[in-house]
Amino acid sequence: MKFFGSHSFQLVGVVGLQLALVAIALTVADRVHGAERSAMHEGNVPAKLAYCEDCHGPSGQGFHGYFPIPRLAGQQTAYLKNQLEAFVEHRRTNNIMFNVAHSLSPGMISALADDFHAFVPPPLGGGARHLVPTGEKIFQNGVPEANVAACAACHGPNAQGGGEIPRLAGQLPDYVFNKLINWSRERGQIPSKPDTSAVMSPVAHSLTRPQVEAVAAYLSYLK
Amino acid sequence: MTLDKGPRRILSRLVSARAATCSVVLSFVLSGAAYPKDAEQSASTDQLQAKIAYCENCHGVAAQGFHGYYPIPRLAGQQPEYIKNQLQAFIEHRRTNNIMFNVAHVLSATLLDGLTENFQKLNPKPLTSPAPEDLIAAGKKIYEEGIEKSDVPPCAGCHGPDAKGNDQFPRLAGQLSDYIFNKLTNWSKERGQNPANPDTSTIMAPIAHSLTEQQIKAVAAYLNQLE
Repeated sequence: MKFFGSHSFQLVGVVGLQLALVAIALTVADRVHGAERSAMHEGNVPAKLAYCEDCHGPSGQGFHGYFPIPRLAGQQTAYLKNQLEAFVEHRRTNNIMFNVAHSLSPGMISALADDFHAFVPPPLGGGARHLVPTGEKIFQNGVPEANVAACAACHGPNAQGGGEIPRLAGQLPDYVFNKLINWSRERGQIPSKPDTSAVMSPVAHSLTRPQVEAVAAYLSYLK
Repeated sequence: MTLDKGPRRILSRLVSARAATCSVVLSFVLSGAAYPKDAEQSASTDQLQAKIAYCENCHGVAAQGFHGYYPIPRLAGQQPEYIKNQLQAFIEHRRTNNIMFNVAHVLSATLLDGLTENFQKLNPKPLTSPAPEDLIAAGKKIYEEGIEKSDVPPCAGCHGPDAKGNDQFPRLAGQLSDYIFNKLTNWSKERGQNPANPDTSTIMAPIAHSLTEQQIKAVAAYLNQLE
């Protein structure tokens, strides 16, 4: 019991208190310095980015893994955030992305989304060249006789997207094909919680397989 | 992000939309004509419902409007005569819009009747964008009083005190503010594009020209929040 009453203990207490105060001050200072600093504090962004690129390709250009893994480069940040939320809530079905997404903090998600949005690698291409003119026609004009809206109306004339509407330019053609064909099997999986994926369901259903292939081919070469 | 009732309506229409799509395509193939013959054929309910769902894909839930790449206008509560005039203008390229040209030129007259009747009855709340109170107030003043020194008549004179329009004069109440801004700013670049065939858009040309950018923003903000 001698220690607790001693000057040494009091010294330890004072020094400890000072260290705690310094730590608190530094934390407060960091919060004041903006999103990038707090993202850095919540985790190592460059390391997480490299992890994403491991599957999504250098600069998020996309990669042909066992599954076609989509291009993230140039993607709209609000769209990326919505999809990560959808994976976490199982509104969008993907086990691998569920595991990726549910450990990301909001600060980390913001930092990653900003990084990917800024990347501009050239498109990987790969769509069937002879289908590109048909794909372009469908993209710009829609298919009015089949009640298919023109993609350009929402995704923009250059397929760059905007706000919550995704960029499609330079996307892997087999990825676009898979997503459109499987739209209602993968997205909007909680009927009691309908989400923005609902707007694409009629389009995905009304397009024929050859039309989907053509649009995917067209998009694959867009910069 | 979650939505509530609208997408469920869209989804519930999907079942009839798929069947309707097949019947529409088949009827075009069998008729062998570019336009169905209206006298012999009235638009089936399925066909009409499918077409409404298609319009709403871009024009939004209950045709309230939608912020796509471009602001896509509210059609809910719109005057049928105005919609028909605009669709005709798109087809004849008097009004420039590639997407709407493609939409419009496959519509039959009877389908048009059904569509415009349907849209007129819809009454969703306005799809509002935030705007400062003083801008809305300035817009209300311009709407009701015009701008005498620029020879801009009060909008209310033709569009009505409640901006609901009449016959060929369109409803403006609840319209997307960025849509109104774009249209007024680009009026003569988009409308009346065939000088040999002048149309009703001529009335608005001098007004669109005389309004300043700030005045257009004010009117747009006011109209956007009107129910």
